[in-house]
Amino acid sequence: MRILVVEDEQALRDQLTIFLKGEGYVVDEACDGEEALYYGREYQYDAAVVDLGLPKIDGVAVIETLRAEDRSFPVLILTARSHWQDKVRGLEAGADDYLTKPFHMEELAARINALLRRAAGHASPVLTSGDLQLDSAKKEVRVADALVELTAFEYKVLEYLMINGDRVVSKTELTDHLYDQDFDRDSNVIEVFVGRLRKKVDPDGSRKPIRTVRGQGYRFAGESA
Amino acid sequence: MKQLGLQSRLLILTLLVLGASLGLTGVVLDASFRASNIVAAEEQLELVIYSVMGAVEEVDSGLFLPEIATLGGLSQPESGLYALVQTVDGEVFWRSRSARLSDVDFALAPGNLAPGDFRFLDGRDVGISRFFLTYAVIWEERGEEVELLFRAAADTGPFQVQVREFRRNLWLGLLGVAALVMLVQVVAVRVGLRPVRVMADEVLELEAGKRTALSGDYPHELTGLANNLDRFIEHETASRARHRNALDDLAHSLKTPLAVIRNALREEKAEFNEADDEPLQIDSHDVDRVLLRDQLDRMETTVAHQLSRAVSSGPVVVGHLTGVRQVVERLGRALRTAYRDKALQVDIVGSQELKFRGDERDLMEILGNLLENAFKYTRSRVQVQVLPHAQAGVLVQLDDDGPGIPPEQQQQVLARGERGDTALQGQGIGLSMVVELVSLYGGELQLGESALGGARVSVFLPGSE
Repeated sequence: MRILVVEDEQALRDQLTIFLKGEGYVVDEACDGEEALYYGREYQYDAAVVDLGLPKIDGVAVIETLRAEDRSFPVLILTARSHWQDKVRGLEAGADDYLTKPFHMEELAARINALLRRAAGHASPVLTSGDLQLDSAKKEVRVADALVELTAFEYKVLEYLMINGDRVVSKTELTDHLYDQDFDRDSNVIEVFVGRLRKKVDPDGSRKPIRTVRGQGYRFAGESA
Repeated sequence: MKQLGLQSRLLILTLLVLGASLGLTGVVLDASFRASNIVAAEEQLELVIYSVMGAVEEVDSGLFLPEIATLGGLSQPESGLYALVQTVDGEVFWRSRSARLSDVDFALAPGNLAPGDFRFLDGRDVGISRFFLTYAVIWEERGEEVELLFRAAADTGPFQVQVREFRRNLWLGLLGVAALVMLVQVVAVRVGLRPVRVMADEVLELEAGKRTALSGDYPHELTGLANNLDRFIEHETASRARHRNALDDLAHSLKTPLAVIRNALREEKAEFNEADDEPLQIDSHDVDRVLLRDQLDRMETTVAHQLSRAVSSGPVVVGHLTGVRQVVERLGRALRTAYRDKALQVDIVGSQELKFRGDERDLMEILGNLLENAFKYTRSRVQVQVLPHAQAGVLVQLDDDGPGIPPEQQQQVLARGERGDTALQGQGIGLSMVVELVSLYGGELQLGESALGGARVSVFLPGSE
């Protein structure tokens, strides 16, 4: 999952980046409104954390512009000015949730998680497909109630595919959302990860939850497929 | 005590001055008319005396006065005109027919009178309604000098009738003049004070939030005042905005470092816990961290509380009117976005016309915090009613079907910085902030039970239709 963090205060931006990376997200940082607009236009994000008090272009304007350009990823606004007018303006501009500074990182993680689920149309943090269960809050995967040991990257691949449901996800899209931008995009690496993931969640090859769509990418097929 | 209005003051003053001046005029005119009336009476009596003196004939037996036909009044009874000739000692030589027939008493002594002197007496001074005139003369009678008194009298009746008539006409006339002057004055005052009244109305409209500046169309005497008032309002609005912005910046520059410190403390804690799975050994560093975290909590609470308190402006000189329902609906829409996961049923009912007399941001602060609480704690439903209230103006009632607030906790919930339920994230100053803001506006906040099963929060705010 790729997240854009827009915060002008470097110390806080660093903390947010470190924390979110620790939570398994790919993070891009922007330090002002202009940079935020550039990143928001250039890349497909799964979510953005936007401080409202930004230099150059303020947060509300950034959100308004991105929404006007059909960027629909969920946005969590951070505000030090805890006035309701600011929160309401942010939400009216197209933000999906708000958090008032100072906040607890755990709360931020919970809010982002909820936004990601909501964006994918899932109400519960636990995504289920047959006997395969992915708990996005605990970052755990179970098959028939047995915990499956996954690497952080394998988990991210599975979560991204499950959240996107029946949609075909290309290898490029996966790379974009799961790697930092400076990563050397070698699609073979993705194939290796998907192969390992398939073995772990479907050891006997009976369910085939991750289908390869020739020339297009992967699709999470779930139980029904 | 309420001061009299300008119009009443001017009219009362006019009435007093007019009353005094016209009253004095009346009294003076009345007195001079009476005086001239008496002079006229005296002159008439003088004429009578001269006529009598002219008619005296000397005969052998002494003085003889024929019936005087030319002075008609003297020969008729009840004519109101009488005459008499007597010696200084009181011996009456002659009495006019009218005096004889009417038995007029000339008893009123004229006192010592030098020959050639007239003396006029107003009988009314001693209860006789007649005027008397006496003329002392030395009369040569057959070579002998006799001092005679020629006396004439006239009834005061006809004079009094004249005076009464004059008086009635005088006062009626003066009253008419007074009425006319008052009427003119009322019109003049109304026309003259019209700009002041217009300004007063406009100031009321300013207070009620129906306008933001005076119309500026005033006579030159008021232009300065109007301009000053406009400048004051402008200055007040600008300085309020500057004050807010300064505090906003302060909030921003304090809260971001606080967030950084909090996160830094958290990072260390995470590293520490992950280091090993041994039971935690409390060393001096941990104590420091606990201390730091406590102090940080205090700073956060203080900053949040004091800043939000300082930013709220409270009742303003120039009132703004803010549509209550419109604000509730905006907040409702925004919160519905933020609480989309809860899939709540939100009902907002009530008049679109009810207005809060105060700053829109303050109203948003009050209702935002209350509505957020309702969204946070409710299970499935939030209801907001915007109602007119006789005393306060506007009553906003928020109902939810959450766990509610037990009566014993309600006071505590309203107190500063305390929270009824610590299970949910929040700064815990929201509700107490709302209480403070509401009381700043002279309103009231009440907590109770909702028919929906959860909490009911009632906010009474100053407002109007």
